[in-house]
Amino acid sequence: MNNSLMQTLRALVRLKPSKKLERDYLVSLVIAVALAFVVGAGILLICGHNPIACYASLFKGALGTKRAFANTLAKTMTLALCGLAMSVAAKAGMFNVGGEGQLYFGAMAAAIVGAYVKGLPGWAVTLLALLAAVAAGGLFALLPGWLKVQWKVDEVITTIMLNTAAIYFCTYLANGPLKTTEKGIAQGTASIMKEASLQKLVPLSNLTTGIFYAAVAALLIWYLMSRSTTGFEMKLTGNNDRFALYGGVSTKKLMLWSMVLSGMLCGLVGMLETFGLHGRFIVSVSNEFYFDGMLVAMIMRYNPLGTMLMSFFFAILNIGGRAMERSAGIPSELILIVQSVIIFFMAAEGGIRTSLKNRAAVRKARREAARKEAV
Amino acid sequence: MKEIVRFSHVSMQFPGTLANDDISLSIYEGEVFALVGENGAGKSTLMNLLYGLHQPTLGEIHISGLPTAPVHSPEKAMRMGVSMVHQHFKLVPSFTVAQNILLGHEPKKWGLFYDEKAANETVRQLSETYGLEVNPTDVVRDLSIGLQQRVEILKALRTGAKVLILDEPTAVLTAQETEELFAVIRRIVKEKNMTVIMITHRLPEVMQISDRVGVMRRGRMIDVLRTRDTSEQGISSLMVGRDVIFDDLRTEQESGEEKLVIRGLMANNDRMLPALRGVSLSVHAGEIVGVCGVEGNGQTELSECIMGMRPQTGGSVILNGKDISRLSPRKIREMGVSFIPEDRLSTGVDQKSSIEENLALGKHRTRDFSLLGIHLRRGKVKQYAKQLEKQFDIRCAGVDEPVQSLSGGNVQKVVIAREFSFDTPVLVICQPTRGVDIGAIEFIHERIIEKRNEGCAILLISADLDELFRLSDTLVTLYDGNITGRFKAGEITMEEIGFYMLGAKVQEGGSHE
Amino acid sequence: MGEIFNVLLLQTTLRSATPVVLAAMGCLLTQHVNMTNIGIDGMMLIGAFFAVLGSYFFGSWAAGLGLAILCGILLGLFYYVFVIKFGSDEFIIGVALNIFAGGLTVFLLRTVFQVKGAFSDPALVPLPTIHLPLIRHIPVLGQLLSGHTLLVYVSWALVLILWAFIYKTPAGVHLRASGEYPAALTACGKSPEKMKCFASVACGILACVAGAHLSLGYLTMFAENMSASRGYVAFACVIFGRGNPLIVFLAALLFGFIDALGLRLQNYIPSDLTAMAPYLVTVVMMVVVVLWERRKKKS
Repeated sequence: MNNSLMQTLRALVRLKPSKKLERDYLVSLVIAVALAFVVGAGILLICGHNPIACYASLFKGALGTKRAFANTLAKTMTLALCGLAMSVAAKAGMFNVGGEGQLYFGAMAAAIVGAYVKGLPGWAVTLLALLAAVAAGGLFALLPGWLKVQWKVDEVITTIMLNTAAIYFCTYLANGPLKTTEKGIAQGTASIMKEASLQKLVPLSNLTTGIFYAAVAALLIWYLMSRSTTGFEMKLTGNNDRFALYGGVSTKKLMLWSMVLSGMLCGLVGMLETFGLHGRFIVSVSNEFYFDGMLVAMIMRYNPLGTMLMSFFFAILNIGGRAMERSAGIPSELILIVQSVIIFFMAAEGGIRTSLKNRAAVRKARREAARKEAV
Repeated sequence: MKEIVRFSHVSMQFPGTLANDDISLSIYEGEVFALVGENGAGKSTLMNLLYGLHQPTLGEIHISGLPTAPVHSPEKAMRMGVSMVHQHFKLVPSFTVAQNILLGHEPKKWGLFYDEKAANETVRQLSETYGLEVNPTDVVRDLSIGLQQRVEILKALRTGAKVLILDEPTAVLTAQETEELFAVIRRIVKEKNMTVIMITHRLPEVMQISDRVGVMRRGRMIDVLRTRDTSEQGISSLMVGRDVIFDDLRTEQESGEEKLVIRGLMANNDRMLPALRGVSLSVHAGEIVGVCGVEGNGQTELSECIMGMRPQTGGSVILNGKDISRLSPRKIREMGVSFIPEDRLSTGVDQKSSIEENLALGKHRTRDFSLLGIHLRRGKVKQYAKQLEKQFDIRCAGVDEPVQSLSGGNVQKVVIAREFSFDTPVLVICQPTRGVDIGAIEFIHERIIEKRNEGCAILLISADLDELFRLSDTLVTLYDGNITGRFKAGEITMEEIGFYMLGAKVQEGGSHE
Repeated sequence: MGEIFNVLLLQTTLRSATPVVLAAMGCLLTQHVNMTNIGIDGMMLIGAFFAVLGSYFFGSWAAGLGLAILCGILLGLFYYVFVIKFGSDEFIIGVALNIFAGGLTVFLLRTVFQVKGAFSDPALVPLPTIHLPLIRHIPVLGQLLSGHTLLVYVSWALVLILWAFIYKTPAGVHLRASGEYPAALTACGKSPEKMKCFASVACGILACVAGAHLSLGYLTMFAENMSASRGYVAFACVIFGRGNPLIVFLAALLFGFIDALGLRLQNYIPSDLTAMAPYLVTVVMMVVVVLWERRKKKS
């Protein structure tokens, strides 16, 4: 027993990316990012701005000061958790597009616990809220997951539909039965217990102790996906579920659980937003955070480590974009355009590469035919 | 009789195989020509050449005296009067019969709209002309397979074809539907003076319907006979008669106790039609039971039922006295069965994953490869994979390469390495050497015999008679979902067993042993 | 109750359903060729913006509509090239398109019109309102059917035209074949890809026209994110109606009715709850359809 514990520790120390993303893919990624920046620069030039100065202010705005960096980290946390939520389900072949709704449910559950549980110490309320949020998100993901596994009801469409329904439902709760009675607060639920809210790590920034919860969750997910036996089964199930079933994996159970886990992560994001930033449930708790995270995960092909790194990059763009808007008056939406160019290019990357290859082959064949004719 | 199709010295070379080897053949107007041969004998390739799906490497094909060269295509074939009905129908399920038959050639009303009335009328006339009764307004999805085939045939006849190629038309039909199809064939041949070329495996049907029969073996046309001058036995001998190329690997051995028993197993195929109609057999320790049969007679369903991947509709599978009929593959494996599936690329491996990962599946939760069943010890997995790579002679650039980089034979070695190293008392092996090169075949056969000599109970399902005769202690024949015979090795010749495989003979009490 | 259920309610229903109807008509074309376009919402937004842009700068609603249609063609081609030619995941492209549209329109709103949030200007020429000659004098019917903007009537016509096209013309037959079983179409010498390209472009046009209706018909302004998930509602209608334009139209009207009723019932039932209905109904419908097909297969 002791021996195996030592082995676990030793294995954990030898951390190494489990599966290298293909080199070609990384090259494409670099090209895509460069291309997107060029497109952005073109737009800036047309609008009469100096692109280099703008990009400089973008990076400075995201990384330049302690507060800016803290905000970037906080954004990374949200994106990465959402991205990991997408990845953990997608790895096992389930496409959870409903993270946004699960996030709302998590936020609402946490807010209810935070506001109505009395007589417990602050840390206990935080913990309880965490559990409630995770449970709410997980349970809400269970429904589409079960429909898929049991009856093969397409989970992409059901989760999209349930997203909007969930957001309306939470909006109803926040504007109706659970609306705050505090004076001077226009919207949202009653505020949560003061002592239970997450502490700010850097004053006036969005970075709170929530990042530690997120880090633990991310580490666990990373471990699960790339080091554990279950992650191994998930990967095989996602790649070829028939093979996995034949090889003795309980594929249905695995798919259902990966969906639930994905929902739990989204619930966690909702709780961290509620307890870290707003202090209550507000209707705008998420601005399509899950969709951003989902795309990051897709770009990185559901690789957990890659998703986390890419989240950091997207967070820089996001936070830096807002700084650029303040300092140079350029609408931060430019960043959305830059991001979507990256996404378009990466989604088509395989197809573009094949068509380039084919074209090169045709050209080569033609050249050879011409040479033969000449001879 | 007028010659309508002529093959002169036609050869077809695919990478690695000579599918057709110098074939010369004439087919005449108004006859039913049956083309028979084992799997991979080159029948379908020959017909695909006629239909223009491939260009012959050497030789010429003439249709009604005109050459198909230089470029042949299905459209050209249709223009020249040749139509083909494939095994997999090309019908849109939600469309009506008329819509399907006239797809791409719809009659128009006011130059714009689809003229349903005219379409239905055209199809009704077509159906009357050829005596193939269909209702133009039926939706194809709701039709039986036999009727769908009839629609497909009408679609092929719409262009006024003179030659109709049918690729294994009876494989998916019930006995009743087969009768109806044959009535149709007789009618169009007699009344329209058409020519029908039929690829088939079933000798009773050849005797029943054809005027002449061409027997193919390993890409060559062995003989062309008048059906009335021959017999099922005669054709069968021509089809399978040959020398065994390999020497016998078996050593005499007493077989042990009964390990795997199958009783009255029934199951449906993917089209929800009965594929197994009460199969019973048993496998003893140290015995290889070979299942012979032409593909499509229930072999796939039999292996999937034992694996727990196909629901069975009756009967039971018993392992060491315990019923495993309704268990998941995981449970069945835990109870001591390993499998080599027939479709190795989609079930046997995950092509995107690495060789080591493919080798580790199923063992990844054991003590050797994990800590507490949670942490996967990739170092151990790699070490183990390297060991298997050597032991099973898997030729690869490294065990962390994806399986899709391997050749067919090496993919199969990966599957065999994984399954054999479970060391289970029972093995179910399907098509172990299909698409595998000679060297690897020898290697795989030796491993299978080794397992048998260790006392493993092995059920071997194969389409390759040589393989079955070489390895099996007991042979059973599967025809149309029934066991038609059971023989000890050496009790029966290949020629003789062909009768049972092709449904020409049934052993007394064979089907309910 | 009289003040809730009156002609005005039905009129509001028709008005608020129209953008959804137009977008859903586009979406159902792609659905028939087996493409799942969830980027409709973004396409609507871009259409809405460029319609305002055209109307403002050329002083004509036709120019606005024309610009929106042009955007639709480009977006449809873009979608087709990425999904079919490059084999990208249509789902990624759809989501990215929505994000792209959100970014692009707001960016342009701020740089071109120099405003935040919303843009409206007296110089904007809205779509013309049409008063039907005879019907307008019939008491209830006139109030209900007359006096809508151009695209409302276009959308009604489109429902019939598309229904006839899909089910009653050879091209429609080919369209459906290319989605359901492309091999059958290839076998008779027709190209499924061409049908997919057509459907994709038509979907782009209709989604952008839906957007134009939103910004020049329903309202006369452009607001950030003004499509407000109507693209997803349209998508839900198509799933609900299983691609049949008539049923999809009814579904869109039903959803519009719920929408309009929700606003009026605000004092009795919160509108947020009624707004959930379309989405939940769609999920239930999907489950029912799947179960129904399973049962049919078994028997």
